[in-house]
Amino acid sequence: MAAKKPAPKVVKAATKAELPPKVQKAPRAGKPAATADVVVIGGGHNGLVAAAYLARAGVKTILVEARTELGGMALTGDVDGVRAPMLAHTVGRFRPRVARDLGLQGKVKLVEPEARNFAPHPTNGTAITLWRDAKRTAAELATRPNGEKVASGYLKLDGRLRRVGAYFEKVLDGIPPDLDGGKSVAELLAGFAFRAPFSGLEEGDGREILRMLPMSAADLVNEYINDDHLEALISWRGSRYNASGPISPGTGATLLFDSITGDGADGGASGETVVAIGGPGALIDAIADAARGFGAEIRTGAQVTAITERDGRVTGVALASGEEIIAPYVLSTLDPKSTLLNLLGVEATGPELRRRLRATRNTGVTAKLNILLDQLPAFPSAGSTAEQEVRLRGRITILSDILGIERAFDSSKYGEMSDVPVVEAMIPTLIDPSLTNDKRHLLSAVVQYAPVDLKGGWTADARKTLADRAVSVLESVAPGISGHIVARQLITPADLQSDWGATGGHAMHVNEGFDQFAQWRPLYGLGRYETPIDGLFLSGAGTAPGGGVTGAPGANAAEKLIRHLRRAAE
Amino acid sequence: MAERYDAIVVGGGHNGLTTAAYLAKSGLKVIVLERRSVLGGATLTESPVQGYKFSVASYLVSLLRPQVIRELDLAKHGLQMAPSVGTYTPHWDGYLDRRTDHADTLREIRKWSHRDADNYDDFKQTVTDITRFIRPAIDMPAPDPYGDPKEWLEYAGLAKEFGHLPLRTKGALLDLITGSAYDFLRRWFEGEPLIGTMSASGIIGTFLGIKSPGTGMVFLHHYFGEIDGSFREWALPQGGTGAVAAAIASAAQSFGAITRTDAPVKQVLLRGDKAIGVVLESGEEVYGDTIVSAADAKHTFLDMLPAGSLPTDFETAIRNFKFRGSSAKVNFALDGLPTFTAAPPGNGHLMGTVSISPSPDYMERAYDDAKHGHPSKRPFLDMLIPTLVDPSMAPPGKHVATAFVQYAPHKLAPEHGGWDNIKEQFGDLVVDTISEFAPDFRDKIVGRQIMTPLDLERTIGLTEGNIFQGEILVQQMAFNRPVSGWSRYKTPIRDYWLASSSAHPGGGIMGAPGRLAALEILKSKRGAA
Repeated sequence: MAAKKPAPKVVKAATKAELPPKVQKAPRAGKPAATADVVVIGGGHNGLVAAAYLARAGVKTILVEARTELGGMALTGDVDGVRAPMLAHTVGRFRPRVARDLGLQGKVKLVEPEARNFAPHPTNGTAITLWRDAKRTAAELATRPNGEKVASGYLKLDGRLRRVGAYFEKVLDGIPPDLDGGKSVAELLAGFAFRAPFSGLEEGDGREILRMLPMSAADLVNEYINDDHLEALISWRGSRYNASGPISPGTGATLLFDSITGDGADGGASGETVVAIGGPGALIDAIADAARGFGAEIRTGAQVTAITERDGRVTGVALASGEEIIAPYVLSTLDPKSTLLNLLGVEATGPELRRRLRATRNTGVTAKLNILLDQLPAFPSAGSTAEQEVRLRGRITILSDILGIERAFDSSKYGEMSDVPVVEAMIPTLIDPSLTNDKRHLLSAVVQYAPVDLKGGWTADARKTLADRAVSVLESVAPGISGHIVARQLITPADLQSDWGATGGHAMHVNEGFDQFAQWRPLYGLGRYETPIDGLFLSGAGTAPGGGVTGAPGANAAEKLIRHLRRAAE
Repeated sequence: MAERYDAIVVGGGHNGLTTAAYLAKSGLKVIVLERRSVLGGATLTESPVQGYKFSVASYLVSLLRPQVIRELDLAKHGLQMAPSVGTYTPHWDGYLDRRTDHADTLREIRKWSHRDADNYDDFKQTVTDITRFIRPAIDMPAPDPYGDPKEWLEYAGLAKEFGHLPLRTKGALLDLITGSAYDFLRRWFEGEPLIGTMSASGIIGTFLGIKSPGTGMVFLHHYFGEIDGSFREWALPQGGTGAVAAAIASAAQSFGAITRTDAPVKQVLLRGDKAIGVVLESGEEVYGDTIVSAADAKHTFLDMLPAGSLPTDFETAIRNFKFRGSSAKVNFALDGLPTFTAAPPGNGHLMGTVSISPSPDYMERAYDDAKHGHPSKRPFLDMLIPTLVDPSMAPPGKHVATAFVQYAPHKLAPEHGGWDNIKEQFGDLVVDTISEFAPDFRDKIVGRQIMTPLDLERTIGLTEGNIFQGEILVQQMAFNRPVSGWSRYKTPIRDYWLASSSAHPGGGIMGAPGRLAALEILKSKRGAA
């Protein structure tokens, strides 16, 4: 790096290629720099939630979003004039407490279909439906081979997941406890978090949590259910969006987290399926309105090129426009690698943190395919037309068995896309006809596994191949669907990296699982929203409790920062 | 009237013998009942090829507790161990040969990556710090989260020390407990053979790949290794691993314990909820105050107890205890040393471990095959030539090579028709794999012994051929081994104890479960007295 710069120092970003060219530009003369108490980086749901909490607490907050629209990965976009969920297609896990705190009730209409997950088998013509009502699910499962046992196993698993999920809602949804403890033995024992948080649990459930967290989702489910298709369907939730398969240990933790129940959340063995009318962007609009209402300033098209610091203390952010915002605190909801490796230099982070963070797993393997159809496709295994309209309102998950998912995953480890990807689709137009004004339908599909580092790169051919493979999976359960496709839109992990700025193109910022979980998400020492750089707080999906449209990382990080500000003021 | 004992130990493997020795040393009248006609269990030396001695199953010692060696005076009972030094990894583009000399090791690593060589010392220091911190836990019973607070006090020192560890050590420890061996190593290294070979410590005996979270735990388990106090060293017992069992048996006998072979136990005899003895396959009954099982959890609880004698939850938990065996053993009698294509001059590289683990992808693909029910097309091999250290294992001038082979999944895809059907084919595959790097290997073979996971199960009694008597998975360790709430060697059946590797701290030639179980039994007897 060149000679000393005038203060405040603009730290040169580590990876030049990932930044626009204007990094080094000095602030424009004559225009005074904006000032704030806190700059929030990123206008996705977590950034907006954090900004709203901060502003609500009377903190002068400026939120900056690089893209021209707010929403990040919870964006409602456009396919051929039809509004479509760009990435996330459900908002079921958005924390009710966040909605209450920010006064979002009534501002956005949420619909929870009775059918949460419809799983047509790709080869044998059967199907499973997981209903919101577990008893209804069990009644249908009872008609399968070995059905009585499968049904009772399902109910047992559902009960266990709900009770354990209630614990998660209470404990792991908040700021993770400090493992480090203090100096006293008692504090340390409490810090190990074995006893205290269990007070509300029956002993059996408490013991089970400690056993289940490191397990693979496949093992966890198999202890209750012996049915290839159903086991795959439930354990899939431990690997959705992640570079893991159901047999990978630690996916049990992801499944448990996805099963959060209580305080208005309702996960269980089926998982939640909740759709926002108007697409996930409607929720974004409501949070943004709330944030503005509390007094936060929101700027779009404002890309941060560096977090500025002096002597290990944050001084603000530098924008691609050359402008700087001076602030003693920065809360970043970008992925941890972007924040700490790209927006800060080695002189701020130190080499040790960079070495450890570089190995954090963040290989994106999930693509999104939006398909516009000229009519509702038929899924024969869902029954009569009337029945189809009911069963197809939730997620439509196409997979066969655990090893089938593993096979799809195996390819991705070597830079290849799955021959037969797992497809999880939604037809939001069935629930929300306002998205299109005619009989066209939109099918929004998560397609996995499609690794960001595809051998040969994400060329036009590769993109077409992936989309074709996903369509042929759909074709296996909805024959004739290909003939109704009007438009296709594919977002690969490479796009997530280049257009959304997510390092590694990971929809959850960093891989989920027990190895990157709670206070060690993304790394032990960074998991409680504070960083070694004074004034820099880390939030977003790459921090606890993780990804999904929950708002929890944003709320927790903001609460931590607010507490810090209050203490500092005393 | 049958004879009465203070304690009956079922199973004459190294843990059973260790328990027997400790109990006898305390003055109890003890008998060990072994199903086979030889003692040793999986610590076994046999001669299936005339004139050659094989360590049939386990082949290296690293985890044997120094307390056991000292307290049972195993040296006096004939145990001699020679260090097994170094790891040689042949690769298509060369080799990696790490031995004891630090500067040489760094030079070797630098051949593949400068960065790796620069980071090597930091890595070593981190792992040493972690093992030094965590090691006391393997010599203590595990604390139970719902257990007596007194149990936790035993761990107060450890907990306090955790608070004082530097962040990097704590972070690395968590990485190991929760993550994969591959991801752990990647924080320091990039070189193909270095990561390939080091990550092997994370999969030995485990049905997971090097990139699967959870393999960090297995890695840590192997790095506990110490020989009589010195760190991270492996050793070859003179006379094969059977010599370890022989020394412990001799110690037990010297304290008055009786060891009986060809005495397979059929069932544990109960009166109410109390164990009072055992009945042998022959119908003979043997009575005792305390019955200790050194068999694995499945045999101990599901096979040897009358149906319905266990609480339902406990029985379910045992049925959920995972054993998935993933490895085989192929032992070779050789009339000369093999010549590796890419190797340094001399035989020094063959003195330690020859590891066929040339790259992370090679290792991971080996797992992929197994995951789908196939033996690895190109398996990972951990091969030793013990005769270079201990010539008594073969006729003069001849050699023995012992190859640990992974993956060999116990549960095969149906198209293979079972292990007995593909056993010889599998042996040939191992020969081919070694010959890829040492073309003359196949010509040196004068005999071989193949131990498939099914053979390990049938011959030695390891359920599903799992070498640790239950997988080393995070959820099956410490207070969860074998069942949450039952990690302290007691069982729901009064006076029936578990002393095998299915109990904390798990498998390997450690003797730790055997010793800790004996200490708990003695404590409970003192309490009762």
